[in-house]
Amino acid sequence: MATSTIVERPALVRQKRFSETYIGQWLTTTDHKKIGIMYMVTAFFFFVVGGLEALLIRTQLALPDGKVLDPQTYNEIFTMHGTTMIFLFVMPMFTGLGNYVVPLMIGARDMAFPRLNAFGYWIVLFGGLFLQSSFLFHAAPDGGWFAYAPLTECGVQGVNCIPATPSINMDFWALGVLLLGISSIAGALNFVVTIFKLRAPGMTINRMPLFVWMTLVTSFLLLFALPSLTAASGLLLLDRHLGTHFYQAAFNGDPLLWQHLFWSFGHPEVYILILPAFGIVSEVLPVFSRKPIFGYTFVAWSGVAIGFLSFTVWAHHMFAVGLPVVAQAFFATSTTLIAIPTAVKIFNWLATLYGGKLSFKTPMLFALGFVAMFLIGGLNGVALAIVPFDYQVTDSYFVIAHLHYVLFGGAVFAIFAAIFYWFPKMTGRLLNERLGQIQFWLMLIGVNVTFFPMHILGLLGMPRRIYTYAPDLGWNELNLLETVGAFIIAAAILVFLFNFVTSLRQGQPAGSDPWDAFTLEWDTASPPEPYNFKTIPVVRSRRPFYDKKNPETADWKVAVH
Amino acid sequence: MSVAYREGIPALEQVHDEGGRSLGWWGMMFFIASEALIFANLIAAYLYLEIRQGGHGWRLPSEIWYPLINTIILLGSSAPIHYIAARGIEKGNQRRLIWGLLATIVMGAIFLGGQVYEYSSLISEGFTPQSQLFGSAFFTLTGFHGLHVTVGLIFLLIVFVRALNGHFTKERHFAFQAGEMYWHFVDAVWIFVFSIVYLLPLLRG
Repeated sequence: MATSTIVERPALVRQKRFSETYIGQWLTTTDHKKIGIMYMVTAFFFFVVGGLEALLIRTQLALPDGKVLDPQTYNEIFTMHGTTMIFLFVMPMFTGLGNYVVPLMIGARDMAFPRLNAFGYWIVLFGGLFLQSSFLFHAAPDGGWFAYAPLTECGVQGVNCIPATPSINMDFWALGVLLLGISSIAGALNFVVTIFKLRAPGMTINRMPLFVWMTLVTSFLLLFALPSLTAASGLLLLDRHLGTHFYQAAFNGDPLLWQHLFWSFGHPEVYILILPAFGIVSEVLPVFSRKPIFGYTFVAWSGVAIGFLSFTVWAHHMFAVGLPVVAQAFFATSTTLIAIPTAVKIFNWLATLYGGKLSFKTPMLFALGFVAMFLIGGLNGVALAIVPFDYQVTDSYFVIAHLHYVLFGGAVFAIFAAIFYWFPKMTGRLLNERLGQIQFWLMLIGVNVTFFPMHILGLLGMPRRIYTYAPDLGWNELNLLETVGAFIIAAAILVFLFNFVTSLRQGQPAGSDPWDAFTLEWDTASPPEPYNFKTIPVVRSRRPFYDKKNPETADWKVAVH
Repeated sequence: MSVAYREGIPALEQVHDEGGRSLGWWGMMFFIASEALIFANLIAAYLYLEIRQGGHGWRLPSEIWYPLINTIILLGSSAPIHYIAARGIEKGNQRRLIWGLLATIVMGAIFLGGQVYEYSSLISEGFTPQSQLFGSAFFTLTGFHGLHVTVGLIFLLIVFVRALNGHFTKERHFAFQAGEMYWHFVDAVWIFVFSIVYLLPLLRG
């Protein structure tokens, strides 16, 4: 039988290989664009997971003496909310965007190490699933996203346990972040080599799009900051399982060592989460203002300055532990200093808008929303650098307000600006403009209703991470308001999901260049062919595609670069 | 990439490469830089804990001569892979590649064996990772280095087997080059670890 079937089959038709089927193409791909899309879809999935966790937190806190979550579950939910949003949403989202956009922007055919790139993606996916799977074992991490020792010291060995029952909850966390760290290192060195070595002819460092600049700085931060987290969580695992004493004061160890190691990763990490957002905004604002970016050199090098300074500010997370006065003065000063390059960027963005022909399409709205929200988050961040004020509000809701203005009002707004801006390139269709505008206004209102009252609650003394509160503390109304705001944000995300699904099938065809944009990625088909460019473009200016379209006013006619 | 080849479009490196080091060399350098920073963090943690405990210097209960000889062997192991193997394959000489690799692998294995011997004698004297903070710090820092030596040895063994099968030519031998880079890194970082763990207490007196 078997032989006869083979004979009957026409000679030229062969079985499709797995890598040629639709599913197989995605599972085996090393194309930076496919990998980028997989990163972004995965990141968005985890955004929804982390968002549901946030809604649980807000529902629990809506009314005093809340009964939705018990204390242990509450600890797990807020730990996983922070861990998910930082490690599984914002970081992979920016890695995915960079993956898709950076090679196109610099005129390359792919990343420098395509297989390493795919490896990085699969580690993120399985590392993320590993972390989330802890819920199935009723052992989700419960020590907060910064996992302070000695609270997190108690392993299954039960060596020197402080809590009564040892558990594996924090093992999920420590192993999870180690795994995700491997992926980030792989991604970061890939970006660095790609950007240094694979730029098209004429694409000098000083002509690179600013998103590429910021991805480069971010990649260096990852390469040099993640080792601290690797060391910190490695030592934590040894303490928990081998009975070493790194973080145990009773054995001359030092819990502060954890804080130093963690935050010397953690503060550069904050800029890892925001520098790509700066890059996105620096791409979107000029295109929708019909002007080149104002002060390109300053925008680029202030990013580098932020990168350097971010390694010198970590102990401002630790003012309350009783550092020496000299150390407090140093870290307060360095933290205030970092506001300078950040303000340089803000002023350059405002100057870019000034005198421009502004068009308020959705990407532009989100970029403008970013500038406004990030400004609030930046200003209350500088307030936290003032040591006596920090003593007053540390570990209160004021800090939560600050970090959410920076990360939600900042990073998430920029991510939506990027999605609305590059979706047409990735799919060939535009997202619906009206739904985009509705989503933007819902989000802007939701963010401020949710996070602004947190400033006041913090000043009123509401500590972070409490699972409930008594009704007579004067916190009731503001908490309820915050919960309403959280659901407004959720509504905005639902609008986006609806927009995404419908536009994918029925969206208005975009063509290759719907925004009359400036940079090389728009000089390809939408979506681009697997090899990106048939002939590698030759670059003569900072706006290569715009100048190609408008040779009579090209930058090289009016300026030297 | 396969599509690009099919349509006669030049591949990645042919278009962009402006000469100089290969992509792989750069990738390996940044990987090693990141690894070096893990060591830097562990050394910082070691010194931080030592100083917090009074800064009198943590002294091992054993003599320094044995680790010193071991150190000389490890540092020496960087010579054959560079002067025999690498110089050989750059001229296309397979025999020199194989013998150079073998010499380095043997010296690395001797170092690792020496470390196991040192550990077992320390543990038998009651000096363990659990016995005191110094034990935790000592075994973690030197053990993390030992782990890197082990990984480096596995790396070189794979390269060695590939060399025996004639996989490397004068022009194409990046896997070997990467292995050599990694091995030099493992050696270089030991200079720092050895200085902090064994020499610093001598200085402090």
